[in-house]
Amino acid sequence: MPVKVAEEWLNICGGCEVSILDIGEPLLDLLPELEFVHMPVLMDHKYFGQTGEGTELEIPEADIGIISGGVRNEKEKHVAEEMRKKTNTLIALGSCASFGGIPAMANMWTLEELYDKVYRGSKTTESADTPSENLPPLLDRVYAVDEVVNVDVSIPGCPTNPDLIVEALTCLLEGKPFELPEKSVCDDCPVKREKKADIGQIKRPLESMEFKQGEPWENTRCFMELGYLCLGPVTRSGCARTIDGGVKVPRCVQGYMTCRGCFGPIRKGANPLVDMLGAISSIGLNPREVIDRRALLNRYIGGQKRLRPLPKRPAR
Amino acid sequence: MEGNDFEPIIVTFCCNWCSYAGADLAGTSRLQYPPNIRIIRVMCSGMVHPNLVIDALTKGADGVLVCGCHPGDCHYIDGNLKAEKRAEAIELMLEDFGLEPERFRLEWVSASEGPRFAQVVTEMVEQVKSVGPSPYRT
Repeated sequence: MPVKVAEEWLNICGGCEVSILDIGEPLLDLLPELEFVHMPVLMDHKYFGQTGEGTELEIPEADIGIISGGVRNEKEKHVAEEMRKKTNTLIALGSCASFGGIPAMANMWTLEELYDKVYRGSKTTESADTPSENLPPLLDRVYAVDEVVNVDVSIPGCPTNPDLIVEALTCLLEGKPFELPEKSVCDDCPVKREKKADIGQIKRPLESMEFKQGEPWENTRCFMELGYLCLGPVTRSGCARTIDGGVKVPRCVQGYMTCRGCFGPIRKGANPLVDMLGAISSIGLNPREVIDRRALLNRYIGGQKRLRPLPKRPAR
Repeated sequence: MEGNDFEPIIVTFCCNWCSYAGADLAGTSRLQYPPNIRIIRVMCSGMVHPNLVIDALTKGADGVLVCGCHPGDCHYIDGNLKAEKRAEAIELMLEDFGLEPERFRLEWVSASEGPRFAQVVTEMVEQVKSVGPSPYRT
């Protein structure tokens, strides 16, 4: 009998769903074993009955629940709780569900400041009241799914690696546990590291990288050593994909970009901002040169109280 | 906890070779200094990772004082210089966490400088009292 799957998207762009479709051929092997009973992005299944006759939000029972996206408003919180009630194993898919993701950068400001900025403060917007009718009220900040309900499996990534989704689903179908290893992206990175010091200045993020395409990875210099801020040292590994020649290369590095940190901290409780600033100061770079440090080093992980409005300083 | 009644908690990391002995000397010499510090002995000021400082400040401490050997005197040759490099990054982190720079201080105290230790602690306590309790303290 196929395993029932319910999928739900909350505060998200939809990229993680595209990632599910991007699984490609392995999806054909998986599909006979899966039966999707609820998936708003793909199928018409309404919360309050197909004709709106229900009074309670209802999601069908399923063995595996997948939630992508963080929790931003009351409706999403309700849906997350309903998903937890109706599913046996709950997967948080993507960085938004796992850590809050890009939207959680809004956690640097209070709700009032956000409303003021969006509806009144912005120069290109006509001043208006904060909309309140027919809209679920926002929560005080963006939450990761595991702050609202218990999550059994977390698959980070923005969007995540399709291979990882297959791996996690296969593990669940076989009854095995799925956990990413506690090591950094650098542990999976094949590039050449020469020496840490002698980097000089941190380059601007948009400065284009000098590289020779087609050069074997072990001859390519570490991007950090070239002066580009790479979040590899403080980011959990798992995104690396095997490409031609059998080398495992982290996905962003494969595209000659530095790691952006979408897999989150290496272990629970680690603080990438503190670790990264500590690391770059001890290898002789000036941490002051990192532009917009707070947002940049918490880009995908603003939930779970990592980003919050700065405490008001007393007037002195 | 406001005003004059505020008694800060200051986590103090002292290196085993100089500053801890300096603190010991201050004690055996019966020097008076405010009781607000909580000394943690570490092998070297260079091992005080920024994580420890930020964790202390965001989980209840009002200030952090790191004491190490004078430059050139480090038992491990350059541990205190590493601490000095990190101190600048720690100041930035304080900014990112919305904490006042007064809450963190790195000082050199040798084993023979009991009076200096007492003086540094007195100054630090005054400094933290002037900025008030940590906003992360609940």
